[in-house]
Amino acid sequence: MAEVHVIGQIVGASGFPQHSLFCKWGVHTGGAWKLLSGLREGQTQVDNPQNEEMAAWSHPIDIHFATKGLQGWPKLHLQVWHQDSFGRCELYGYGFCHVPSSPGLHELQCVTWRPVGSWQDQLSQLFIGGGLQLKNSDLIYSGADRYRLHTSAMGTVHLQLGVILRHFDRYGVEC
Amino acid sequence: MTANPSVFLLMVNGQIESANFPEFDDLYCKYCFVYGHDWAPTSGLEEGISQITSKSRDTQQNFVWNFPIDISFKSTNPFGWPQIVVSVYGPDVFGNDVVRGYGAVHIPFAPGRHKRTIPMFVPESSSMLQKFTSWFMGRRPEFTDPKVVAQGEGREVTRVRSQGFITLSFNVVTKDMKNLGYDTTTADLQNSSVSTVTDAFYRT
Repeated sequence: MAEVHVIGQIVGASGFPQHSLFCKWGVHTGGAWKLLSGLREGQTQVDNPQNEEMAAWSHPIDIHFATKGLQGWPKLHLQVWHQDSFGRCELYGYGFCHVPSSPGLHELQCVTWRPVGSWQDQLSQLFIGGGLQLKNSDLIYSGADRYRLHTSAMGTVHLQLGVILRHFDRYGVEC
Repeated sequence: MTANPSVFLLMVNGQIESANFPEFDDLYCKYCFVYGHDWAPTSGLEEGISQITSKSRDTQQNFVWNFPIDISFKSTNPFGWPQIVVSVYGPDVFGNDVVRGYGAVHIPFAPGRHKRTIPMFVPESSSMLQKFTSWFMGRRPEFTDPKVVAQGEGREVTRVRSQGFITLSFNVVTKDMKNLGYDTTTADLQNSSVSTVTDAFYRT
């Protein structure tokens, strides 16, 4: 069986309207993939940058997969949340990106979006915060029912992911 | 020469070059390595404390440590790849030694020369009163074990403030990763002369 190691960090995020952000992340794979070691999901710390524009999470990712096929290559999905001074959490963006398929270190910028409602929802969001969230978080990384959504763009999440592949050449796979 | 190796080696040397902390002066740093269960250090120092350095007088206002790092690991599995955890300390206005930042980064795994600039962050007090008391008493919130910064679990309850950056540079050499079937770089780099240098370096 071929193996894939994903070793890297969720470095931080930039371009969001407020500071004090954290990120919930998870990795979704197809049926042929098996998680051998590492955490498949997690949540970063809440960071409030003093002088910079970028929130720094430096959250380590170390996952070891074994696979029998190329379908269902791992996808990393993210939810960026904002924690205000009262301790309430507000959704700031959803995003996903595929784990790179070539070995080596990759710098990724994952764009994020947020669902947008009617003008009444937007007005109440302006005054009291909160906002719409997805009922089913599978929609973050699947395209199936996306046509029903109306979203607006939010900031970007910066990732530094290193990929180590094992035995891919044994099966004749070029990457 | 080993025909069927079961262990691969990772040799890292480099330095903690410099830091950029606009608000502080007179800092020193400590580093340590965090690695998984399949890894063991074979030679070199796992921890170190640097000298105390002051801000430069020019406009860049850099802190320079130029602190050497030299370590080798052996392992059977890339899971738990070593990370270097750097913690920076300095005096506050009353003269107590307080923590100014923590940061962590994985050791690069492709052989060659690498430079990494990492952000540093410090835990925040949970209330205004605690913030004032800790400033007054000189006991700021800090992690009981800096190795927490290199882990993914238990971080969701921490609130931190990020300030400052540290620049590190590494030279990485690996042995027998290709023989065990691991690909760490894309194909066009594998045919370069980097692989012959690593073969000549270790002779076991």
